[in-house]
Amino acid sequence: MVALVIALALFFDFTNGFHDTANAMATPIATGAIKPKTAVALAAVLNLVGAFLSTEVAKTISGGLIREGSDGIHITPDIIFAGLMGAVLWNMVTWLKGLPSSSSHALFGGLIGAAVVGIGFHSINFETVLQKVILPAIFAPLIAGLVAYLCTRLAYALTSRHDPETGDKLTQKRGGFRTGQIFTSSLVALAHGTNDAQKTMGIITLVLIAAGTQAPGSGPQFWVIAACAFAIAIGTYAGGWRIIRTMGSGLTEVKPAQGFSAETSTASAILASSHLGFALSTTQVASGSVIGSGLGRKGTSVRWGTAGKIALGWLFTLPASAIVGALTALLVGTGVVGVIIAAVAGTAAVLFMFVVSRRSHVGHHNAVEVEEAGHAVRFRKKKKSRKTTPSKDVQR
Amino acid sequence: MKWLELLQVAGVTLFSAVTLVVLYSLGVRLTAIAGDAQQKSPGLMRSLAYACFAVCGAAVLFGIYLIVPYFGK
Repeated sequence: MVALVIALALFFDFTNGFHDTANAMATPIATGAIKPKTAVALAAVLNLVGAFLSTEVAKTISGGLIREGSDGIHITPDIIFAGLMGAVLWNMVTWLKGLPSSSSHALFGGLIGAAVVGIGFHSINFETVLQKVILPAIFAPLIAGLVAYLCTRLAYALTSRHDPETGDKLTQKRGGFRTGQIFTSSLVALAHGTNDAQKTMGIITLVLIAAGTQAPGSGPQFWVIAACAFAIAIGTYAGGWRIIRTMGSGLTEVKPAQGFSAETSTASAILASSHLGFALSTTQVASGSVIGSGLGRKGTSVRWGTAGKIALGWLFTLPASAIVGALTALLVGTGVVGVIIAAVAGTAAVLFMFVVSRRSHVGHHNAVEVEEAGHAVRFRKKKKSRKTTPSKDVQR
Repeated sequence: MKWLELLQVAGVTLFSAVTLVVLYSLGVRLTAIAGDAQQKSPGLMRSLAYACFAVCGAAVLFGIYLIVPYFGK
């Protein structure tokens, strides 16, 4: 059972990397800053490195959300299995539908649902859930968006050049930002490793604690860190190929300067929260930044409809995966037969969705999640000449 | 309550992102100035620009250094 859960957890990690490559690498590929192949490889390596850097978030998950051990409440590997099933299934569904959803919230939702059904309401540490999951989920995108807005303003103000005598606009020469994006997007990938890979580590540690092979309250072991780091790196690399294929099919109008600001804000927000053990969603933070930086450019307005759709997706993730997790917990609760049924059904569902995804056309709508956030900002002034982004040829 | 930590995250995010963006933007601006035809001392401007980029990079590395627990102890 423990082995099964660990396998499932690593698979979740894989889907997580798969889901989120776009967040880090979509804009630099789009503006032609890096070649797609290089970008994906870079993202994978940095995810790997990031996963090793900090384990604060893993500790939040393994010791806090669900009261383990001492109080006499025992979370069993079965519960975690059910929770993970909920997370993986929801992740696959949203990926298939192209909904911008958070892998992290899917995970928490699944776990909470499974624990409530399997043990009862008292098993959940609601205070920790509120403080370390819900609040960051609301504020992190807002903070990132606000900071990105300010940064974009600053970046444009500092680099706008006018002729001192005539007041005419000079060539702005903002090409330098494109090079800068290589670094900022790398930072985002690194930040992703420090936050998202941690979640799986936390889960596996939780299983080990639940199975009694590790002391409650202790941090992840080295082999767990290594396995998670590799799983997310491989996922990132695999997911990247889809993005490369779809990059040609239209992108947000993100200018290098905007992308630079957005990515800097995303990376600093995620790194800062990782350090304090806040488990937040990289997808949401990145979306917040993209919207913020879009607003920072002159002549833009928000498409509230699209923004609302994104927000709705965020709201649904937690309850939806909680329901799947709860149902799986019910099934698992019936005994060994239930576990087998759940495992087989889950695998079948994942395989089915994978087959469907192969057949359906992969558009940018289901490859680049942050894309959605970019659409939430309307650009009034459209530049006719696209001299600054000679990316069309590079992407193909 | 975690409000303080949340505030901390907000502050750190704001500070670090703005620092990086300002430094990098200055670098970009100075590079642009150095490229101007009538500029008298392109060499100076260019080296200033590189200094900006260097400080920016150093700031990033310092931030990572702060986060890694291995160095913290």
